[in-house]
Amino acid sequence: MNTVATESIGVQVDGVSKRYAHRVKGEIYAARDVVLDVRPGEFLTLLGPSGCGKTTTLRMIAGYEMPDAGRIRFGGQDVTGLPANQRNIGFVFQNYALFPHLSIFENVAYGLRVRALPNDEVARRVGEVLSLVGLAGYEQQFSGQLSGGEQQRVALARAIVIRPRVLLFDEPLSNLDAKLRVQMRQEIRDLQRRLAITAVYVTHDQEEAMAVSDRIAVMNQGSVVQEGTAEDLYHRPASEFVAQFVGRVNLIRGRVMAIAAETTTIAALGTEIVAGPVRKDLTTGDQVLLAVRPEAIEIARDGGVPGSLRATVVSRTFLGEKIEYLLRCGGETLQAVRYNAGPGEVLPEGVTVSLRIAKSAVTVLPETAASVTSARRP
Amino acid sequence: MAGSSEGVLTTASPARIRKDPAVTAAALALWLLLGLFVVYPLAMLIVRMLTDNGTFTTTGIVAVLTDRHQIRAFWNSLLLALSVGVVGTALGFLFAFAAARGRLPRALLTAIDVSVLLPLVSPPFTTAIAMIFSFGPRGLITYNLLGLKGVTVYGMTSTLFSEALTYFPIAYLTLRPILAAIDSNIEGMAFSLGASRWRVFRTVTLPLAIPGLANAFLLLFAASLADFATPLILAGNQFPVLPTQAYLQITGLFDLRGGAALSFVLLVPSLIVFLLQRYWVSRRFYVTITGKGAGQAPFDSISPAIRVVLLAACLGVALVIVYFYALLFYASLVMALGANHAFTFQHYRVIFTDGAKAIGDTLIIAGFAMPLGGLYGVLLGYLVTKKSFAGRRTMELVSMINYALPGTIVGIAYLIAFNDPPIELTGTALIIIACYIFRYGPTGIRATVALLQQIDKSLEEASQGLGAGSGTTFKRITLPLILPAFFAGLGVVFIRSMTAISATIFLISIGWTLITVKILENITELSLGPAAAFSVLVVVIVFVVIAVIGRVLRLFRAPGAVPMTSLLGG
Repeated sequence: MNTVATESIGVQVDGVSKRYAHRVKGEIYAARDVVLDVRPGEFLTLLGPSGCGKTTTLRMIAGYEMPDAGRIRFGGQDVTGLPANQRNIGFVFQNYALFPHLSIFENVAYGLRVRALPNDEVARRVGEVLSLVGLAGYEQQFSGQLSGGEQQRVALARAIVIRPRVLLFDEPLSNLDAKLRVQMRQEIRDLQRRLAITAVYVTHDQEEAMAVSDRIAVMNQGSVVQEGTAEDLYHRPASEFVAQFVGRVNLIRGRVMAIAAETTTIAALGTEIVAGPVRKDLTTGDQVLLAVRPEAIEIARDGGVPGSLRATVVSRTFLGEKIEYLLRCGGETLQAVRYNAGPGEVLPEGVTVSLRIAKSAVTVLPETAASVTSARRP
Repeated sequence: MAGSSEGVLTTASPARIRKDPAVTAAALALWLLLGLFVVYPLAMLIVRMLTDNGTFTTTGIVAVLTDRHQIRAFWNSLLLALSVGVVGTALGFLFAFAAARGRLPRALLTAIDVSVLLPLVSPPFTTAIAMIFSFGPRGLITYNLLGLKGVTVYGMTSTLFSEALTYFPIAYLTLRPILAAIDSNIEGMAFSLGASRWRVFRTVTLPLAIPGLANAFLLLFAASLADFATPLILAGNQFPVLPTQAYLQITGLFDLRGGAALSFVLLVPSLIVFLLQRYWVSRRFYVTITGKGAGQAPFDSISPAIRVVLLAACLGVALVIVYFYALLFYASLVMALGANHAFTFQHYRVIFTDGAKAIGDTLIIAGFAMPLGGLYGVLLGYLVTKKSFAGRRTMELVSMINYALPGTIVGIAYLIAFNDPPIELTGTALIIIACYIFRYGPTGIRATVALLQQIDKSLEEASQGLGAGSGTTFKRITLPLILPAFFAGLGVVFIRSMTAISATIFLISIGWTLITVKILENITELSLGPAAAFSVLVVVIVFVVIAVIGRVLRLFRAPGAVPMTSLLGG
C-alpha cells in the first residue's frame, strides 16, 4: 500500500494564542500560550471540556484560524502564515462536511483534482483509498444515501488520499452511536499506525482519548494543563482538574503533617494517610487534596483485611463485572469499586467495612480556592 | 463542542479579516447601484414633496393631509388592507390546515396547490375582469343567471373579495410549513391528557401557529395596501384608495408633487408593517424546521365530520378560482361574453397584431431583467452572508426597501428621480428593467441567504483544507450549492416582469410598453375580449417558465432546495 509515501514529520505549536471579542465578557483567550510538540508519526489527542480551546488550537494547526501570537511549524518549516490550502493537511470534521452535490468518488477525488493529477491516477488512488476504508463499490453514491459510519469513512478517505503531512480530527466520532464509536476509533487508530501519519485528534471523551492516543494533552480555559500518556494522566494527575477530568476520582481533604524522603503523612478521613513523596512547594501544615481512584480502595468486611480505616456502605450499584459502592468514612463520602466479586462477596448496605489505600495510589494535590467548594461535594 | 460555544463569539483579530479586493470592489459596486436605484429615488420623492421650484414648502403634503377626499382614501386603504388581512389569513389557514392535517390524497393536494398557485402567477387584473364578467351589469351570474338588472359590481365588497382571493395563497404558503412543522405528538399528548379535539386545537395548535398567523396577516395587509390594479378596476368612484389616487393625481392632473405626497402617506403604514414583520414577528416563531423526519402522524387532529367540512370549504374556494380562470379563457374565445357567445380567435389575432409590440417589449424587458435580477440576488445574498465588510447589515436592509414598499411609491419615485438630468432614464427600457431588478431581485437574495445559512461553513473549509483556493472553492462548492437560489430568483423576476404593473405603469413610454398596461387600456376601453386573451397568454407563458425552472431545479441535488412556489409568497 503506497497511498501515503511521504515520511512523517513533527508538528510544533510554539506559544500560540488566539483572542476573541466576546459580546458580554469582552476580550477573552480561546487559546493562551499553547505549546505542543507532536513527534513524527505520533498520535496526540487534545482533551478537554467544551470551550477549553482544543478545537481552536486544532484549527490553528490546520490554518483555518490565524494565531494572534506564536508560531506553528511542520517538520521545522514555519507554516504560521500559510492558509489551510497550502499546508497539505488532512482534516476530518465533526459533521464530516461531505459535499452534498458530489458523488462519493468526486468527494474523495476533490483534493486530487485540485492538484491537477491525471484522471487515471485520480481513479487509481480514489479506488485504493476507498477499499482501504472498506467502501469499494460506493463510488457513485451520494453522501445523503450513506449511514453515519459510512460518511465518516468517506471523510477519512478524502482526508488521507491527498497524502497529507498531518492528519487532524475534530471530534470525528461524536455523531455516531456508542458501539460504532468504539469500532471507528479502533479503525482510525489502525489506519494512522499503518500510514504512519502524524495525527492530532480533538475530543472531550476521555475514554476515547485514552483508547486512540500515544499521548494526551489536557486543555482547560485555553491552556494545556498537563501532557503525557494515558497512564501518566490517570495515575499522576498534576492538578485537581486533570484528576477529575480523566477518569473518576475521590478527592479527600487533608492537611500535611509530616514530610519525609519517601513518605508523606497527611491527616485525612479522621486518621492518618500515608502517601509517597510530594511536590516541593508543599510544606507541613498545608491544606491538600488527596486524589484516590475508586478501584484503588481495597474493601473487606470488617476485620477481613488489615486496614485501619472503618467505613459504612451507603449504597451499592451492581454493574455486572463490577460493583460500585458509596462509602461513608471519616466525614467524607467515597466511591469504591470491586471487580469480579463472586456471588457471596456482595457487601450489603449499612454494613461496616474496613478499607486500605495503598501509598502509591494516593496523589497529593495542593488545595486551590476552587477546590474548597468542589471538594465538599458528597 | 468548542465550535458551538465559539459561535457566539465574533472574531476581533485583524488576522482573520483579510481584505479581499474582489469583495471590496463587489460591495462598492452594489452600494453604488443601491444608492442609485433605491436610496436616490426615495430621497428625490421626499425632496419633490417638500419643495417647489427649489424652495422648501409643505403645501403639497398639507394639501393632501387636509383634503377630505384623500383622508378618506387613506382610511379606506387601511380598512381594505385590514379586511383583506383578516379574510385572506382565515382562508389561507383553512387551506394550510386542511393540507397539513387533513390527510388528503396526493392528487387532491396537488390540485389544491395548482389552483392556489394560479392567482399568484396571473397578471393583476385577472380576478377583477372575471368579477366583472360574473357580477357586472351584464354579468353571467347577476344578469344571465339571476336576472338582476342595474347591479353594480364596483365598491369595497368586490375589491375585498377579489383581493382576498388573489392574495390568500400568500397566507397559505406561509402557514402550511408552520402547521406541518408543529409536531403532532404535541397534539396527541394534549389529547391523551383528556382534551377534546376542539380543545386541543384551541389550546395547542392555534397558539403555536399564532406567529405564523401574524406573519401571514402582515404580508396580506402589505399586499392589499400596495395593490393598485384591483381597486383601479373594481373600487369605483365611491371607494377611493391611496395607490389609485396617487396614480390619478399624476396621470390625470399631472401633479407630481401631490402624487409624491400621497405616496409618502402610503409609505408610512407600509414601512411600519415591513419593520413589524422583520423585527417583531420573525423573532416569535415557536416552531423551527429541524432536519428530523416528521414520522407518521400518530394523532388524527381532525374528526371525520370536520374533515368533510374543511374539504368542502377548500374545494369550494378552489372551484371559484378555477371557475374564474375558465371564464377568462372562455371570454378570450368568444366575441363578447354576456352578449355574443360565438366562437372566435379574433381577440388572439388582435393581441398578436396590435399587441405584438407590447408582447415583444415585455419579453425583452423580462429577458434582460431575469438574468440580471438573478445574478444581483445571488451576489448580494452571498456577500451579506459570507463576507464581512463595513455596512453589511445595512446593505441587506436597504436591498429590501424597494421590495417592501408598494409599487406605486417605487414607480413615482423612479419617475421623479430619473425624469431629469443628471440621470435621465425616462423613456428607456433600462428604467423598467432596473425597477424590476431592484424590486424583485430581493426574492433571490432571501433565497440565497436562506440556502447559505443551511450550508455549514465546514464545507468550504474542507475544500480549502484539501488544497483548493477561494476561487476554486467558490466555483466547485459554493456556486453549485446556491444555484437553486439563483434559478428561483430568476423565476420570480421573470414572473413579476410579466405580471407587474403598479410601479412600471409610471415608467412606460411610447418606446417601451408592457402587456399589463395593454390589458389595463383594453379594460378601460371595455374591450374585455383582448384583455382576457392577453391574460391567458401571460398565465400560459408563466406556467411554462415555472415548469422549465422546476425541471432545472430538480437536476440539482442540493440540500434544502427552496421550492419555487414558496418564494412567490411574502
